[in-house]
Amino acid sequence: MERDEFTLVRDMLRAFATRFRTGSADDVKAQTRADAQRALDDLGLTGLRRTSPPAATVQECALLAEEHGRQPLTTSLLGTALLAPELLRLLDDGERADPVHGDRPTVALAGDLRFPDPDAVGLVAWDCDGADTALFVHAEGRVTEHELGAPAPTADLLRGVRRASAEGRPVGRLTPGAHRSWQAYALVVVASELVGAARSFVGQSVDYARERQQYGQPIGSFQAVQHQLADATVLVEACTSAARYAAWCLDSETPDRALTAARVAKAEVNSSAVEAVYAGMQVFGGIAQTWEHVAHLYLRRVLVGATALATTADLLTVLAAPEATR
Amino acid sequence: MKGPTRTLDPDFGLTFSMFYISAVGKGVPAVDFELTEDQETIRKAVAGLLRDFDDRYWMEKDRDHAFPEEFYAAVADGGWLGITIPEEHGGHGLGITEATLLLEEVARSGGGMNAASAIHMSIFGMHPVVVHGSDELKRRTLPRIARGDLHVCFGVTEPGAGLDTTSITTYARRAGDHYVVSGRKVWISKALESEKILLLTRTARRDEVEKPTDGMTLFLTDLDRDRVDIRPIPKMGRNAVSSNEVFIDDLRVPVEDRVGEEGQGFRYLLDGLNPERMLIAAEALGIGRVALDRAVRYGREREVFGRPIGMNQGIQFPLADALAHLDAAELVLRKATWLYDQGRPCGREANTAKYLCADAGFTAADRALQTHGGMGYSEEYPVARFFREARLMRIAPVSQEMVLNYLGSHTLGLPRSY
Repeated sequence: MERDEFTLVRDMLRAFATRFRTGSADDVKAQTRADAQRALDDLGLTGLRRTSPPAATVQECALLAEEHGRQPLTTSLLGTALLAPELLRLLDDGERADPVHGDRPTVALAGDLRFPDPDAVGLVAWDCDGADTALFVHAEGRVTEHELGAPAPTADLLRGVRRASAEGRPVGRLTPGAHRSWQAYALVVVASELVGAARSFVGQSVDYARERQQYGQPIGSFQAVQHQLADATVLVEACTSAARYAAWCLDSETPDRALTAARVAKAEVNSSAVEAVYAGMQVFGGIAQTWEHVAHLYLRRVLVGATALATTADLLTVLAAPEATR
Repeated sequence: MKGPTRTLDPDFGLTFSMFYISAVGKGVPAVDFELTEDQETIRKAVAGLLRDFDDRYWMEKDRDHAFPEEFYAAVADGGWLGITIPEEHGGHGLGITEATLLLEEVARSGGGMNAASAIHMSIFGMHPVVVHGSDELKRRTLPRIARGDLHVCFGVTEPGAGLDTTSITTYARRAGDHYVVSGRKVWISKALESEKILLLTRTARRDEVEKPTDGMTLFLTDLDRDRVDIRPIPKMGRNAVSSNEVFIDDLRVPVEDRVGEEGQGFRYLLDGLNPERMLIAAEALGIGRVALDRAVRYGREREVFGRPIGMNQGIQFPLADALAHLDAAELVLRKATWLYDQGRPCGREANTAKYLCADAGFTAADRALQTHGGMGYSEEYPVARFFREARLMRIAPVSQEMVLNYLGSHTLGLPRSY
C-alpha cells in the first residue's frame, strides 16, 4: 500500500475505534455489538489480503491489528477481515477444492482456542461477530468450513466465540509452506492486537499517574510508581519489536524463518503484555478493580489472548527443539 | 565471654522453643519467637569475637587467596568449633539451631562465605562420624576437630556425577587390613588446607548392586600428598578458602578409617543432608543481612541531588523488599532447625529454608551493590565480595532447581522428573 493510502486506512480504523469503543462492561449489548460490526464492515477491510499479491503487507495488517487492540472493541477485525481472507488467499495458491459457502467466514480453532493437534475435538469459531461460517485448518493442513452454533463461554467479554459444527465441508488443503505461513500470520496478527492493548492500557495508566493526586502531589511523582510504569513500557517495547519483526519476516523471509519469528513474538507477548497490564492495574489502584472500569476488559483480552493459538509452554517447547524438527 | 563451655546450660539444645506453644493469660496459646537467653548469648559472643576481623582483613584474604588462619584460631580458641560435637568427644553437644546461629553470625560479621567455609566442615560435617563412626575413630578425630588442630574436607562430588551422587566412580578396593582408593573428586572445599578427608567411595560398582545407593562406603582418612594431587580451581569468589580438584591414585586407607559398615556410606550421608541445607541457609542469610546493613548505611550517608540517596523510593523500596524476604526466609530456617532438634521430619522445611535464604541473601547482596552504584563494583567496599559469595549459595551445596525437584516430588507427590 502507498504510505498515504495506509495512513488513510489506519486513520479510518482509529476514528471507528474511538467511536465504537466499549466504555464499560455494562455497555456490551447485542445491539451495540451489531452496530459496531456493521460500521467496521463498512470500512471494507476484508480485501486487504484477499488478492494475490495482497493489497496490504503483513506489516500493515499487523499495525491495523495493533490499532484495533488499543480500544476495548467487540468487533471482529482479526477473524473476519484479516485471518479468514488470508487463509482463502493461501488456499487459492495451493489446492482449492470447493467454494466457500459463507459470505463472511471467520476462523475456527480447537476447543481450547489453540492451533489443533491431530486429536483436536470440540471446535469453536473464534472472533465471530458478523461472521456466518468458520474455516478450520486441521493439523495436517486440510481446511474445512463449519456452521456456527451457540455462543461458547469465554473470559474475554468482548470477543465473540461460538461453537462450531463438528462436521465441516471440505474447502481444500494448504501446502506445507502455506500452512506455515498461515500459522505465522495468525500468530503475528493475534500477537499484534495484544501489543496494541498493552500499549494503550499502559498509556492510560501513565495518564492516570499524572492526574491522580495523593499527599498533595501526582502519584506519578513517586519513584515506585514511575519505575513500575517505566518497566511496563520496556515490556511493551519488547513485545512490539518482536511482533513487528515477525510481521516483517512474513513479508521478506521464508515461511520457516517467519514462523520461528512469529513463535518468538507470541511467546514474548504472552508474558510481556500480561505483565504490562498487571503493572498498569497496580497504578490505577482500587478503581481498576471495579466492574465499570475498562481495566478488566484489557486484562481479560491479554490473559485469554496469551493462551490463544499457542501458549508460552507450546511455543518454548517448539523453539527449544532443533530447527530441523520444528 | 570466651566460649560456650563456660556459660551454657548443657541441656540447652533441648530447651529451644522458637515455636513453643505456651499458655498465656487464660490458657490462650501463643507462639514464642524469642531466642533463648543462651542463644542470644551465642550471637552476641560470636559478634563480639569477630569484631576485629574487619572488611580490610577479609578483602585481603580474598584477594590473596589466603586461608584466614587468625580468624580460624580465634573461633577455635573461643571453643566454638565443637559446638555440635558430643561432650564426651570434647564438644558441647548443642543442636543445629545453635550451629546455624553461629554460622549466620559468622557470615554476618562481614566474613561472609570465606569465614563460614573456613569452619563449616568442623561445625557439622563430622555428623556421619559422630553417628556411625567407631569409638576409636571418634576418639582419634573428634577432639582434635573441636580443638581446631584437625582440618577436614568433604569428598563426595565428582566430575562425572555432580548431584547424581550414586554415579560416583572413585573406587575403594579391599586389600587385607586396608583399602586402596583411586578416583577423582571435584569442588572439594578446603582440600588444600586439610589433613583429612571424609571420602565417599564405591566398594561395589553401581551395576553390581541391587540399588544404586548400595555399595558406597565412607572413610575419614589422611590426604596423603604422595598419593593425592590437589589442584585449586580458579573461581569468582570465596577465594580465601580453596575449591579443588582432587586426584587420588592408589591411596592406602586403613580399615580403621572406615566410617560404619562397608556399603552403607550413602545412607550415612543422607542423615547430614538436611542439617547441611540449614547451615548453608544460615550462611546465606548472614550474608544477606550484612549486605543489607551496609546498603542502609550507605543509603543514609551518600548524598546526591542534595539529599541522602536512601530517600529515593527507587533505593528504599528494593532494600525494604530485601528485608521482608530475609525476615520470611529466616522464619522458615528457624522452623527447620527446631524440627530437626526435636527429632521430627524436616526435609520440606530444610529444603525450603535453603531455597528462600539463598534467594533472599543473593537479592539483598545484589541490591546492596546497586545501592552503592559504581562504588559497589569497587573492592574498596565489601558488597562486591558479598555479591560474589551470595551467588554461590544458589548453586551449592545443592542447586535451587534440585530443591524444587525435592519439593515437587517428595512434598507435592508429583512424578519424579529426573
